[in-house]
Amino acid sequence: MKTFLRRIVLYIFALWSFFPLYWLLNTSLKTSKDALARPPTFIFKPILKNYIDVIKNNEVWGYFLDSLIVALGTTFFGLLIGIPAAYVLARFKFKGSADFGFWILSTRMTPPIAMLIPFFIMYLKLGILDTHIGLIIAHVGLNLSIIVWLMRGFYEEIPIEIEEASYVDGSSFFQTFYKIAVPLSLPGISAVGIITFLFSWNEFLFALVLGDSVVRTSPVGLYGFVGYQKIYWGQLSASASLLLIPVLFFVFLFQKPLIKGLTLGSFK
Amino acid sequence: MNHFKKERNKFIILMLMPATILLVGLTLFPFIVSFILSFTDYSLLRPGQTKFIFLDNYIELMKTDEFWIALRVTVVFTVLAVFVQVVLGVVIATLLHNENTNISFLRTMYLLPLAITPIAATFTFRLMFNPSLGVLNYFMKLLGFEPQAWLASPSTALFSLILVDTWQWTPFILLICLGGLASLPNEPFEAAKVDGASSWQIFIKITVPMLYPFIGLALLFRSIDAFKTFDIIYVLTSGGPGILTRTLNLYAFKHGIEFLSMGYAGSIAIVMLIITIVVAQIFLRKNKLLTPKETLKQ
Repeated sequence: MKTFLRRIVLYIFALWSFFPLYWLLNTSLKTSKDALARPPTFIFKPILKNYIDVIKNNEVWGYFLDSLIVALGTTFFGLLIGIPAAYVLARFKFKGSADFGFWILSTRMTPPIAMLIPFFIMYLKLGILDTHIGLIIAHVGLNLSIIVWLMRGFYEEIPIEIEEASYVDGSSFFQTFYKIAVPLSLPGISAVGIITFLFSWNEFLFALVLGDSVVRTSPVGLYGFVGYQKIYWGQLSASASLLLIPVLFFVFLFQKPLIKGLTLGSFK
Repeated sequence: MNHFKKERNKFIILMLMPATILLVGLTLFPFIVSFILSFTDYSLLRPGQTKFIFLDNYIELMKTDEFWIALRVTVVFTVLAVFVQVVLGVVIATLLHNENTNISFLRTMYLLPLAITPIAATFTFRLMFNPSLGVLNYFMKLLGFEPQAWLASPSTALFSLILVDTWQWTPFILLICLGGLASLPNEPFEAAKVDGASSWQIFIKITVPMLYPFIGLALLFRSIDAFKTFDIIYVLTSGGPGILTRTLNLYAFKHGIEFLSMGYAGSIAIVMLIITIVVAQIFLRKNKLLTPKETLKQ
């Protein structure tokens, strides 16, 4: 009975999460007349024209590639830079460590509206406007606070005795960090990695202002299907649906450590 | 001892260096620029005639009703949306953690709102909310309820935005809690089960307290982000009807990007930053999240 109730709640929540996406998929298989039918239609003759249009459209492939490069780059460099900082903040107290941690957090608090124009000027002067590396740097900067603070939370949950034992055995701080702490924090790395990837993949404002002509990520590209007069529903929904495939693939690859008992349980 | 201290300091500096350099490089200049601009009447319409006006922007802001209304909308939106998301996220994560069939399928479903390009999702919501051809009113009529104007009506506009925000961001809390649950030790849960505790007791007495650092962090980040929500509000209501859903960020956008008065917009941004800093400091101090629980000692 309890299992049954739990499943009902879980599947209702799945339905709630899926419904808008169902509507998007639905729209992508409709003609433009069906898409805006009154009342909305559930049963209709599906067409693949929108998908064919999108697959044939080289620009959409370009958005996809740019997004993939930027999001993978952001996840990789973000974790590479953020994890060491998170570990130190979780395990050491030094002069000003609380303020330092808070300063990192505060970089997420400024409304982007205020940052955009100075950012643009800075990028223009550095000559990294409209480059992959430029956008990766910006996205790492936007997400570093979340990477550092969440990873720090995960490190604090690891029993400190394991690291102390390793240190007593003669390992250096650095060896203890990458041989003991990093493997133990895999569930955290997995969750934070997925979050970073998704944040970068879907980021719109900075991608629009710092990119746009050479490097155009998919959120910016898809915005092109929204015209002043008319929304190109067919292409918008078809490309958004197709773009889900690589994201789900990435999430699938990265989610393994989230499965319970894989790390700490096997260690003890 | 001295050697240990030297090693320790070297380690700390090396590990913090890359993050520090990147963040200083990226945020210092934009911050100083908007800070200085907030004390001027800088406008892109007449960039040559900028004057220092000291606190005038801030005084003007405090005297404007529109600012206080925007502040209230922002606070109500943030508090309600984040509250619902945290409750839902923690409950669903715990239920999923105890589930043993189709976990991968369910987790993938749950992550969809975070994975889909927001532009596409938001415009789909706009289509679904449409009073005459939207699917929501279709269901309302089917179930015998009065159709709603959703985004256009004063009584439902903010509620509709909270609904969309909850749909999009509950997975964020859920994901952090799933990661947290996976990294917690099993013993307390097993011991409680042996002692015959009910699921509800385990949830309240063990899961929530042990997961608390993660819930706290998820809540903190979600609040920081919700406080400056822009895109869904801009696309769905643009702050309307009237100014009933106009948040501080939209208010800043209106002055900065539409009216091009960057100085005034800068002062709004600085006020938002100060509010966030104060609230975050109080929250972190109260929950003792600013400093590590245990430190490596020799």
